[in-house]
Amino acid sequence: MTHPGFEAQLDAYLDGELAAVDAGELEAHLAQCAECARFRDGRLALRAAIKARIPAFQAPDTLRQRVRASLRTAASSSAPRRISLAGWWRPLAMAASLAVVAIGSWNLALQRAAGSALADDVLASHIRSLMPGHLTDVLSSDQHTVKPWFNGRLDYSPPVYDFAARGYPLLGGRLDYVDGRAVAALTYGRRQHLINVFLWPAARGPSAAPKTRDRQGYHLLHWTTADYTYWVVSDLGLAELHDFAQMLQQADSLAR
Amino acid sequence: MDASALARFEAVVLPHLDAAYTLARYLTRNAHDAEDVVQDACLRALKYFEGFRGDAGTSARAWLLAIVRNTAHTWRGRHRGDALATEFDEAQHSDAVADDNPEGVLLQKAAKETLDRALERLAPEFREVIVLRELEGLSYKEISDVAGVPVGTVMSRLSRARARLQDALRKEEGS
Repeated sequence: MTHPGFEAQLDAYLDGELAAVDAGELEAHLAQCAECARFRDGRLALRAAIKARIPAFQAPDTLRQRVRASLRTAASSSAPRRISLAGWWRPLAMAASLAVVAIGSWNLALQRAAGSALADDVLASHIRSLMPGHLTDVLSSDQHTVKPWFNGRLDYSPPVYDFAARGYPLLGGRLDYVDGRAVAALTYGRRQHLINVFLWPAARGPSAAPKTRDRQGYHLLHWTTADYTYWVVSDLGLAELHDFAQMLQQADSLAR
Repeated sequence: MDASALARFEAVVLPHLDAAYTLARYLTRNAHDAEDVVQDACLRALKYFEGFRGDAGTSARAWLLAIVRNTAHTWRGRHRGDALATEFDEAQHSDAVADDNPEGVLLQKAAKETLDRALERLAPEFREVIVLRELEGLSYKEISDVAGVPVGTVMSRLSRARARLQDALRKEEGS
């Protein structure tokens, strides 16, 4: 093969993963390059051989049953006990459902309170991270080291960026616990200041501009993208923290 | 968790049990271990299920396969302690695949090189992209999510792995 850079491209082309423009160029090249055409034919033969001889498996029935049984056990052991609504419970249940209607109007206030509790949670995690030895679990300024580190530790793969060139170097990442779940925390530096970024999959759709809160001399910025809920905490000046948040948002929108 | 949540989980996840088992089979290279990995992965999936949002661009299939994959890697670390229990080193393992030159292997092994044996001998990071692409039919983006590496890495790993398998196939046909 005299076009080594081409191999991966050709594979991507055969997988239907190449952008239309590149695919067009490649096809033009294939039409006139016997060597690349041979390479393609080899790959097509390989694909056929894999299809014919490398089997996909069927999960055995015994496994299916085992999985179902263990799921049942796991689900029931974590379930709260359910109370039967038979007999004299019924009138009480009716009363309770009326109460639910009345409480409905309180929902907004409750949601606000929940947001505030979350901010407390995030701030506590930030302050805890400043204690010696708590800042990072994986100490690396390389986003390609930090991102895979989360793999297997979380059920999502958080986007990790480095803004060293713009004065906000990535320092590392760690697992944290916020809002009742394990979340990714990324640490960035800005001169002598530290910035903690907490993110986890968003439950609701994207929000517009970051919301700002101030607590105990720290600034907290909060926003939601289509994929993630972000909380950013630091004692850095608010203007610079907004700049940083903007970088994150830009990087996110570019990555999409 | 109530019965309806469990039913929802089963409806979303269990249709992909064959895919999960196939990936586990190729990652563990052993039917019995594959079953353990799948069962363990399903329990983990149940635990994470609330965090899973089907509308976030991740299919349930890719989501489950990511958990199977991570479970298999953890399992390997625990039971075998072999090469990839430690952190994967792209450069080192790329060399391992590149250096594994077919002539040398053939002389050394005298036994006939076959396609399935070549697949088994690939480093797990290369084996998994082949399985995810060729058997599970995942897109590069989905493989990137499952394996936790950039799409560019998926692309180069796939290409290297195929080059290796192609060598094996050529040898097999030539012999």
